[in-house]
Amino acid sequence: MNERISVDVEMRQSWRYASGAAMERFCEGLRNKRIEALRCEGCGRRYLPPRPFCGNCHLHLSHWVPVAQEGVLEAWTVVCLPFLDGRTGTVRNGPYGMGLVRLDGADTTLNHYLAETDPSRLAVGLRVRAAWRDDLRGAIDDILHFEVMQ
Amino acid sequence: MRHQVIIAGLGDTESALEDSRSIPEMVLAAVQTALADAGIDYGAIDSVVTASVDLFDGITASNIAVTEVVGAVMKPETRISADGLAAIAHGACQIWSGAYETVLVVAHAKTSMARYQELTQWAMDPIHVQPLGVDFLTCAGLQARLLAHGDAGADRRWAQIAADRRGRASRPLAPASSVEEILASKPVALPLRQGMCAPMGDGACAIVLRGAATGAQGPVLRGIGYDLEPHALGDRDLTHWHGLERALQRACKTAELQRAYAHFDFAEPSCLFAHEEELFTAAVKLREDTEISADGGLLAACVPVVAGMSRLATATRQLRGAEDGGRRALVHGTWGPVAQGQVVAILEGTPL
Repeated sequence: MNERISVDVEMRQSWRYASGAAMERFCEGLRNKRIEALRCEGCGRRYLPPRPFCGNCHLHLSHWVPVAQEGVLEAWTVVCLPFLDGRTGTVRNGPYGMGLVRLDGADTTLNHYLAETDPSRLAVGLRVRAAWRDDLRGAIDDILHFEVMQ
Repeated sequence: MRHQVIIAGLGDTESALEDSRSIPEMVLAAVQTALADAGIDYGAIDSVVTASVDLFDGITASNIAVTEVVGAVMKPETRISADGLAAIAHGACQIWSGAYETVLVVAHAKTSMARYQELTQWAMDPIHVQPLGVDFLTCAGLQARLLAHGDAGADRRWAQIAADRRGRASRPLAPASSVEEILASKPVALPLRQGMCAPMGDGACAIVLRGAATGAQGPVLRGIGYDLEPHALGDRDLTHWHGLERALQRACKTAELQRAYAHFDFAEPSCLFAHEEELFTAAVKLREDTEISADGGLLAACVPVVAGMSRLATATRQLRGAEDGGRRALVHGTWGPVAQGQVVAILEGTPL
């Protein structure tokens, strides 16, 4: 039997997402080291990251509330595989810490990096605090990572 | 009165880490087997439902690759971009409604074509999650950590589940391993290790659904239910599969079964990680004598998209082989990060 022929295809394409009004305000806040959530007037849940609509109450959200830069580590993992950063095209090698952080003043958690990668120093329930980039640009990674508070 | 849906024919390719055939070749093999199993030809098909995911296939409208081989030319065709068991739900609805008598349902995926885990990043929010490189594996690691919190024996139990499932498979895509080997396997997203994750591969599955008026024989699809959790991990209770509980409740309702008294002889869960089997059993509350993952399930060999349909195929074979012909199976499928989407089907050998 002949050798099977396969064809390699590499697609280079880019997308520009409209972030929406709620995310625009959130990102603008990040540029000023300010974190805000949107509270649902129906169930009282404070959504972070903010979104325009409560999926449980079916209400439009417009009530902004301030959120602290520190909170509780609700879940964590140390990822040991590299990943491709779609925004820069660069590969980030493991290990790196990833957490679900419930900031004081919010009722949902935020996905973000953890500075700590040693599993023995991480635990559910630890207090963590945001560390910021020097060059703020209004994006989720203006927060560099979350650090465990001593 | 609702029309009865029979699982009249099934065909699947053997899961492989890399199937050198093209997608149409793979799908054709599954379809031809299913049609032969049902004793029909392409002319008998009234409608086709396909399941595929564009990201995995590298083309948009990925069903265009299989239009001819599934017999969809000049026929009504619907494409589902989710687990194949959700496609079965749509096919069953077409028969239940009386619109069609014979529906062919087909699912396919080839993870060998690209870097599967990387692709799953693109199923996450593009503004505040994708830029952080979060993929389905990272999400599963976060969930596993929550479950293991305060539970020192969790990782050993998960290793035991994975070792057991892989050990009962005739051709697992990952080698059979002991509990100790799994616990020592490569860490991927702690506390998850490679051995606790479903090995991914290539495959296709085709199932012929027919209304009882056709005279078709086979297990009866009594009920289907599904559910969708919020997409954001931070909005969800990751310690329970509440979506599965709701899906099962709906499936029991369509099957006219009392949830509290519904017993299943076989259960075919779709578990991509060993800890998910504990979430499954906690949500569906099976009796101890229910046989789970007769062929090793997805922890032995997993083809995304095909996954839930492959569970339906296994359950169908179990029911066909059951001596009394009157046994009941629960079949499960998922899609999305940490099983955001949940679908279940209830099958019976003959009406109990």
